[in-house]
Amino acid sequence: MFFLSEIEHTLMLPPHLLNRPLDEAIKEQLDLIFLDKVSLSLSLSLSLYFLHLLTYTLLADSYFLVKFRLVMFRPFVGEIITARLKESTVDGLRLSLGFFDDIYVPVPFLFSPNRNEPVPGHRNRVNWIWNYMDEDYSVDAEDEIMFKVHDVSYPPIPLEPKDVKPFAPMVVTALLHGGGDLGVKHLDCGEGSIV
Amino acid sequence: MSAEEEENAAELKIPDEFLKAKCLMNCEVSLILEHKYEQLQQMADDPMNQMSQVFEKSLQYVKRFSRYKNPDAVRQVREYQLAEFELCVLGNLCPETVEEAIAMVPSIKVPIISIAALYTRGRAHDDEAIEKMLNDLSLIKKFE
Repeated sequence: MFFLSEIEHTLMLPPHLLNRPLDEAIKEQLDLIFLDKVSLSLSLSLSLYFLHLLTYTLLADSYFLVKFRLVMFRPFVGEIITARLKESTVDGLRLSLGFFDDIYVPVPFLFSPNRNEPVPGHRNRVNWIWNYMDEDYSVDAEDEIMFKVHDVSYPPIPLEPKDVKPFAPMVVTALLHGGGDLGVKHLDCGEGSIV
Repeated sequence: MSAEEEENAAELKIPDEFLKAKCLMNCEVSLILEHKYEQLQQMADDPMNQMSQVFEKSLQYVKRFSRYKNPDAVRQVREYQLAEFELCVLGNLCPETVEEAIAMVPSIKVPIISIAALYTRGRAHDDEAIEKMLNDLSLIKKFE
């Protein structure tokens, strides 16, 4: 779900920015601090919106009290979201919204009954296949997948890089079965599948 | 399970800070981001440079999953008497049947009963009220 939040923040403008138009310099600093970051009551911030409607006041030296609005993305437990497939492995599916792709469907949360088939030529990839009403449906990259948010977690920042995968500050665990209109929308038949 | 306080959309228990923030439907975010994109195009010679990747991807996403394209339609959808969160989920997903709507947003069963009771005589049937609302929402979409 997207949210519009009003935020008050004390900002320090580095001296080399002080001779630029204040509006611009402040917007730039706010962008650096808030954009595409998980922060502020745990949401992913998308873009700055309407900085000039609110205010900035000089507190002292180069400190400003800035009030602005921010569009944020914050998934809720129980919310239903549509995404696309990013990865398919023996551990389950990884889904993506484009701007956010740390959404995982572990095997127990997949549609069922299911089975998987390894993809030739790719060591870790498998194709997950759903057997629904005696028909086999496989999940591929063009499908739009509706899922229910089961959990949102915020792993602590690791002190040393542990493995090759970049650190994900916000991770969504998704559910593909359990009621309602969840499942894979197939482009050819255009129908959502009821699980 | 996160260490945060228990929050669950099904029962409409939302953390306090989000009660002050305003919920936006995908179509509203689409209008906001498109407006910003136009501003960037006017201001700079090379708007693509100014636009961050995350901005571009989010614009792509909300455009793709917007149900209502014009601002008037969006305003009409907002006039329904539902909690912001419920309105936004229904506005994003546009369920076609009452069963779908209740499965997606179980909490709507509660307020619909009271609204229906206000405006109908005799016994209020909540499923009918939900169905009427879904019809209205899809009509808004048809005639926008």
